[in-house]
Amino acid sequence: MSILLDILTTAAILYVVAAGLMIIFGVMKIINFAHGGFLTVGGYSTLIGTMIGLNVWSVLLMAFGTGFFFGLLIERFVVRPLYSRPLDAILATWGLGIILGQVITIVFGREVQVVPSPISGASELFGVSYSQYRLILVIAALIIAGGLTLLLGKTRLGLETRAVIMNETLARALGINSSLVRLITFSLGAALASLAGALITPLSSVDPNMGVPWLINAFMLVMVSGVSFMSLAIACLVLGGAQVLVSTYANPVLGGMTIAVLAALMLRLRPKGFARE
Amino acid sequence: MSPALQLTDVRSGYDQAVVIRDVKFEIQPGEIFAILGKNGMGKSTLLKTIMGFLPLKAGEVHIFGAPLGDQPPYLVARKGIAYTPQDQALFQDLTVGENLRLALRDEGLMQSGLDRIGEFFPFIPQRLQQRAGTLSGGEQKMLLIARALMGKPRLMLIDEISEGVQPSLIDKLAKVLLEERDRSGTSILIIEQNLKFALAVADRYAVLKLGEIVVQGDAGSSGLELAIASQLSV
Amino acid sequence: MNNSNSFFRDDRKSLFIATAMAIILVGVAPYFLDAYLVNVLIRAFLYAAVALTVDILWGYTGILTFGQSAFFGIGAYSAGLIFTHMGFSTANAIVAIAVGVGVAVAVAGIVGSLAFYHGASNLYGSVVTLVLPIIVTQIIFSGGNFTGSSSGLSAFQSFDFSMELWFWISGLFLILLTFSTWIFVRSDAGSVLVAIRENESRCEYLGINVSYVKICLLMSSAVIAAIAGYAFASAQMVVAPEYAGFVFGTELLTWVALGGRGTLIGPVIGTLGIDVSTSYLSGNLPFVWKLILGIIFVLVIVAMPRGMAPLFMRRSRRAQGDLMDKKNPVRIDRVASTVFEDSKVNAIELRGVRKHFGSLKVLEDITLNVRPGELVSLVGPNGAGKTTLIRCISDGNERSSGSVLINGHDIGNRPPYECVAFGIGRKFQMANTFEALTVVESLRIARTRLHRPSFADRAEFLELPDAAAKVIVATGLDKELDTETRNLSHGQKQALELAMVLALEPSVLLLDEPTAGLTSLERNVIGQILTELATVHRLCVVLVEHDLDFVRQISSRVIVLHQGKIVLDGTVEQVVESELVRTIYSGGAQSIGGHS
Repeated sequence: MSILLDILTTAAILYVVAAGLMIIFGVMKIINFAHGGFLTVGGYSTLIGTMIGLNVWSVLLMAFGTGFFFGLLIERFVVRPLYSRPLDAILATWGLGIILGQVITIVFGREVQVVPSPISGASELFGVSYSQYRLILVIAALIIAGGLTLLLGKTRLGLETRAVIMNETLARALGINSSLVRLITFSLGAALASLAGALITPLSSVDPNMGVPWLINAFMLVMVSGVSFMSLAIACLVLGGAQVLVSTYANPVLGGMTIAVLAALMLRLRPKGFARE
Repeated sequence: MSPALQLTDVRSGYDQAVVIRDVKFEIQPGEIFAILGKNGMGKSTLLKTIMGFLPLKAGEVHIFGAPLGDQPPYLVARKGIAYTPQDQALFQDLTVGENLRLALRDEGLMQSGLDRIGEFFPFIPQRLQQRAGTLSGGEQKMLLIARALMGKPRLMLIDEISEGVQPSLIDKLAKVLLEERDRSGTSILIIEQNLKFALAVADRYAVLKLGEIVVQGDAGSSGLELAIASQLSV
Repeated sequence: MNNSNSFFRDDRKSLFIATAMAIILVGVAPYFLDAYLVNVLIRAFLYAAVALTVDILWGYTGILTFGQSAFFGIGAYSAGLIFTHMGFSTANAIVAIAVGVGVAVAVAGIVGSLAFYHGASNLYGSVVTLVLPIIVTQIIFSGGNFTGSSSGLSAFQSFDFSMELWFWISGLFLILLTFSTWIFVRSDAGSVLVAIRENESRCEYLGINVSYVKICLLMSSAVIAAIAGYAFASAQMVVAPEYAGFVFGTELLTWVALGGRGTLIGPVIGTLGIDVSTSYLSGNLPFVWKLILGIIFVLVIVAMPRGMAPLFMRRSRRAQGDLMDKKNPVRIDRVASTVFEDSKVNAIELRGVRKHFGSLKVLEDITLNVRPGELVSLVGPNGAGKTTLIRCISDGNERSSGSVLINGHDIGNRPPYECVAFGIGRKFQMANTFEALTVVESLRIARTRLHRPSFADRAEFLELPDAAAKVIVATGLDKELDTETRNLSHGQKQALELAMVLALEPSVLLLDEPTAGLTSLERNVIGQILTELATVHRLCVVLVEHDLDFVRQISSRVIVLHQGKIVLDGTVEQVVESELVRTIYSGGAQSIGGHS
């Protein structure tokens, strides 16, 4: 039973981390390799927030806002010129991730620091005692998924974003400022990454390189999902579940590479991944 | 009053290739103008240049008296220009309603827009929830014109709307364009290979061959169609 | 010009001098530099060797690879593991290098077939090279005490060499590697790499098996990286998982990008410079230095994609280029075009070919035969399916159903380069050429299928069949042999592509709008050449054309395509007189207003 909860919560965590990367990939067709850096930014803003005594909601808001702000700057000056060079965009955003990491190291030092979890302890669920915080993350994932779906489906910005995803040239011809859409999307993606970083810090700790392992997994999940919140959820459940199973029954270290390997093989067999035709 | 659209010695193309050269014509407000020519002669390049998708290599484009400059396409569109491209002109996976909404800057005008196009195409307001890709070919063409009309455009640029369309529908589209012009004084530029349709609708025409305008004049004289057809040497 | 093509010719003088100087420098350096720097340089030389392989893969061939570190790690851990667990001896040393290289090559072969399969996108290839070092490091982590896990292995016994000797070994390794790679990239085989980077699809359609080339490159690069790793482990007597990891793999890319991708010397100097300065500055300002490097890296990618090297190299490169032109102008040798025998077999045979995208039907039930010697024009309105039909004939993966036979061979699901082997030559609609290559280099790529290019040299002469040579001369390209394609006019690019396709000596020629953008004089020449190819050389020529005058002048047969079906198939007169065609082109017999 606790294995099932492990799978569910792991999938939720992966979803929260990957969602920001996916909306950027969908609209801008590039992989934001600074995603790991944004996760770290979120983690450290949590550190600051807790130190100055903000409550949980303010901390999360602060993480979101910081990510959004950095996202604006980065899109405008680094990503926009690289629109026609997607492989270079991967490299440049990776360089940015390094810059973010180094700045954080200079300011905060290299040591691992721990942020106390806002909710600790376990609750009884289906006869098993399970970490409350992990369960809360499942709810957080649902809220994020719901929020994004509403944003994309019911707002003007969401409609324009979907139009730009489908056919940017046509959208521009109809009067949609696609550069603005891309700017907002990127910043939103960065903000979500930062929020995710804030949400996962109570699970372990913060250090300047905390984002890197998540980056690879998030990247593979996005490649396999295409541009659909539903396929991302399925991918997180299936691949995340595989990771949990391998870690538990075989070797936790091999578990760390399950997602990457399965995703790479899957893309070879079915280049569209989990996305529907 | 300045012309709706004025091109002077325009030269444009892709990268280093020059596709259209020395293009010069104007459209008066409330006029329907047809550009005729076969494939590969530069018609789509012309529209893309007017919309700002391709930079001008030489010459000038004036829209209602104001120079085009190097404005991005979305700003050109917001000046009241409705552009209907030849391919991939609809968002297939969005609904009819969403396709129409995208043509409006102010969604408050949605209802009045629907009323207007409902007079021309009554089926559209009843199918707002349907995915655009599931409409028949002819219905999609009608949706294209409807979308262009939604925002009460001052100038319409229509690229080969009659292609692949059955004759009865071509008649209807022609009627819609003529009536829109009569009612609202909309200027219309149509790009066509279908000579009959073009000459029945247009006030004036120009023939584009190998990137240059080879003849212009008033549409309406009889025998014109055959004369132009031989120009295009079918 | 008796030594004009020897290995030691004049324009190589500067290369030999530079190499000799480098060897001398490496020889005396240990006596002038302090021990710390010597030690750092041993490591830096080996890193630079791996960076060279990254430049070949990425800078020259366009394969963004994060995975060269994995092969370095494999070489290093072979030494580390064998020396730790089996002790050191000459025999073990040989076994270790054999194992290291062997495993690296095998892994490269597997990874390559996964990453570079026909139809793989560049992004997918990079993804696979990204996953590789992760897998290798995870395997190392899971090895517990055997592999030393996260702390690695150290203090194992190794070669009893002095530091100076290691310096000379690694320095010499780097110099020889740079020397031979330099010769390779400037050879004819080297320009194939650039061609692949510029336009992979065009290479496929010239009969080059791009996947195979990439896999071979990856395997050779793996060998070099593994040897460097082996030397590293033996010299430093320490191995750790970081040396096989993704972060090191990305650092290599950084060094190449900063030094100047596609220049060879740039990455070498960049790696040496950055690694050495990092090790010195590390003591005082570790993170600020990395920060500065990171900022420079991002600036370089955004604003100077070719890195810093071109700033320094431009002048010398041009000088060297001029030198080469004057001493070794390439001569064109005309060779008679093959005359194909009139056989009983149809050149093209299509049976029930269909193509659909989901529910959209583009081609429906196309069945036709074309004989050698026919000059067929394919006409029809936009969207009729003409280009799709050409694609289905030249690429076995393209059609949804039905069968296609070329000269009697069923193309099945074969990719384009195999269809070319059956005799197909395809010219694309938009001029599809290699922007960075010169005219003569492009033509030579086109001859690759028939003449294996040299791996060490630029051939002095270029054999071209008559037809291709005529196109070159008629359009003035023979005066522009050393001009880069990007500087040609649109019409000249069209002509060049046509000449490239003719250089393939195809028996079935598929041309998509061959006269677009040409002057009427050029059109006439092309028309004559095509007619001659069909009537005298018995090629089967199929053209897609919009210029109906051109069609009328040269075709022996016209096929009209409309909405995915063949509606008419006959002689020029039959088609031109046809009421149906007139209808299709002018859009309807009914007039507006309901009058008939």
